[in-house]
Amino acid sequence: MISIKLWVYVLRRILILIPTLIGLTLLVFVLVHIQGNNLILAEYINPRLTGQARELEIQRLTQEFHLDQPVYVQYFYWLGQVLTGNLGYTNTPIYSGPVTTAITLFLPNTVVLSLFAALLIWLIGIPLGVFSAVNRDSPADQGIRVFSFTLYSMPIYLIAIALILLLGVYLNVLPFSGEVSPQMVAGLSWFRDGISYPTHVLLIDAILHGDYAVAWNAFLHLIMPSLTLALAVMAGIIRILRASMLEVLEQDYIRLARAKGVPERVVNNLHARRNAMLPVVTSFGYTVAGLLGGVVVVESVFDFPGIGYWTTQALLNNDIGGIMASTLLFGIVLVLTTLILDLVYAVVDPRIRY
Amino acid sequence: MEERTEEGKYSNLILSLKVFFSNRTAVAGMVIFLAYVVDALIMQFDPRLLGVTNPNQFTYNFVNPVPQPPSSQYPLGTTYPGINLLQAILEAIRVDLGYSMLIVVGGAVIGAVVGILAAYVGGYLDELLMRFTDIFFSVPYLVLAIAVGFALGRSFTSMVIALIIVWWPIYARYTRSLTLSIKESVFVEAAKAAGASMVRIMFKHILPNTLPPVVVQISLDLGSVVGVFATLAFIGFIPNANTPELGYLASLGLNYVQSAPWTVIFPGLAITLFALSVNLMGDGLRDVIDPRRRS
Repeated sequence: MISIKLWVYVLRRILILIPTLIGLTLLVFVLVHIQGNNLILAEYINPRLTGQARELEIQRLTQEFHLDQPVYVQYFYWLGQVLTGNLGYTNTPIYSGPVTTAITLFLPNTVVLSLFAALLIWLIGIPLGVFSAVNRDSPADQGIRVFSFTLYSMPIYLIAIALILLLGVYLNVLPFSGEVSPQMVAGLSWFRDGISYPTHVLLIDAILHGDYAVAWNAFLHLIMPSLTLALAVMAGIIRILRASMLEVLEQDYIRLARAKGVPERVVNNLHARRNAMLPVVTSFGYTVAGLLGGVVVVESVFDFPGIGYWTTQALLNNDIGGIMASTLLFGIVLVLTTLILDLVYAVVDPRIRY
Repeated sequence: MEERTEEGKYSNLILSLKVFFSNRTAVAGMVIFLAYVVDALIMQFDPRLLGVTNPNQFTYNFVNPVPQPPSSQYPLGTTYPGINLLQAILEAIRVDLGYSMLIVVGGAVIGAVVGILAAYVGGYLDELLMRFTDIFFSVPYLVLAIAVGFALGRSFTSMVIALIIVWWPIYARYTRSLTLSIKESVFVEAAKAAGASMVRIMFKHILPNTLPPVVVQISLDLGSVVGVFATLAFIGFIPNANTPELGYLASLGLNYVQSAPWTVIFPGLAITLFALSVNLMGDGLRDVIDPRRRS
């Protein structure tokens, strides 16, 4: 049963969220507007305008964005707009138009990429960590430790390049650029200007349209970016899981389970692994932060049209709308994950509630 | 009597050194780390020792710009445009090492002040400072770096500022939790009883006791920071710069990676080896200060 105390805790955590998000956006807003209005004007004014027409346009924009007001006043105008669902405009080589549309175009791809990465972490990382601890100091354990330690020390772009060279160039089994081979989607009615319809996730759209060859191709393009992301995040998880698993295996209740004749496999997988996962869950906030940061790099290296790719393009093209929006988006995701995690933790471990 | 305490003091240090030096991987990590530091110092003060005239700039060779494979003339090959990779890596280590150190130490100093203040004073100040810390915790580092890069222009300075902003909260939380347990110690009570001021207790009595774990944390973080720093440079944070930096150096060879993989791999390995060495060293140091972890 969920007690009243838990509800108080949940409410408390949600209320704390509001000042955090305001602080986060204020921080970024001030950062982005520190340079004054020239960048904002530069983004919205047609460079061909001159003389009187340009002056008029500047006046109009100054009024529209309240540029004659102090930064903190501008912030509240901006916040008001965000709350009504208007996130402004973005202007990058890969997309120009309303930010909200850009998000609906790019975010689904990133979500699918992250889910694939999470799946790989769950399928590879967690078994490796458990195996490593159970077979402590065996050659396999040594190998896994060296593997995870090296991976942990590699910058994420090097992991990406290593995979490209190994699987893409040397073995030549996987594609490593974009979300699909261009010749596969040429002339398709539901794929225009690099954007697929209706979900904007090529893999899903292809399945919806019954085009399984394209779906398979899109799937192959997903493997390397998600594997890179998974490997980068996995390294830390394996290390934490191994350490906590070793600690759990020393506990009295494990000894008791063994003493009463519970099979070793059940002891490891049922009694020990569940408890050893707690530190992994705690560190999941860092994991998500790592995934979000990793997404930016991975999508740039693999030219994968997700939110991270768009963010990088926004940075390289001084696109204020894109930068503000992606910061807000990444911040919200991180804050919400932390919240959900804390709540899950409070349900799992009653000692946490205070 | 006096001799005894003196001996006690040193035997503790000797024990710590023994523990550290009995850990072969940690010692190997330290040796590699020191090699990087020596290289950085040489590049800073007398680059001619390694045959480099100007460590602040890549030496281009536009006559032969296409990457060449490793040979006796270029032990690690060359990258576009005709840069001697070995020389460029030796030059670049100075920048990566220097800025990463600056970031981690800067973050640790800010974090330690905030953490100690929050934990020692407590109450509303603690709550306020920790909520403030939460805000910075909720920004993914790359996104914040992008915002700072936008505000201050894409440069090493804005990268350093961005990463300090992202890194200090970790130290704030860490020193806060350390301080919470230290402030209950008898020696703090004694200092209070002797009439020491709050500032004196915080910085004279508590700060030195938080140092060993924080130094270990610095050593462990250095490996991550150097990777993040290089990654930012790799994705284009410093455009049109010809300053030797390992991430940027790797990005120069990106167009040739299929035919000349060494152009990306060697600069990347230079970072991996560094991160590996500080991680190994940090693990060894952690075993020294935390006896429970000694096996």
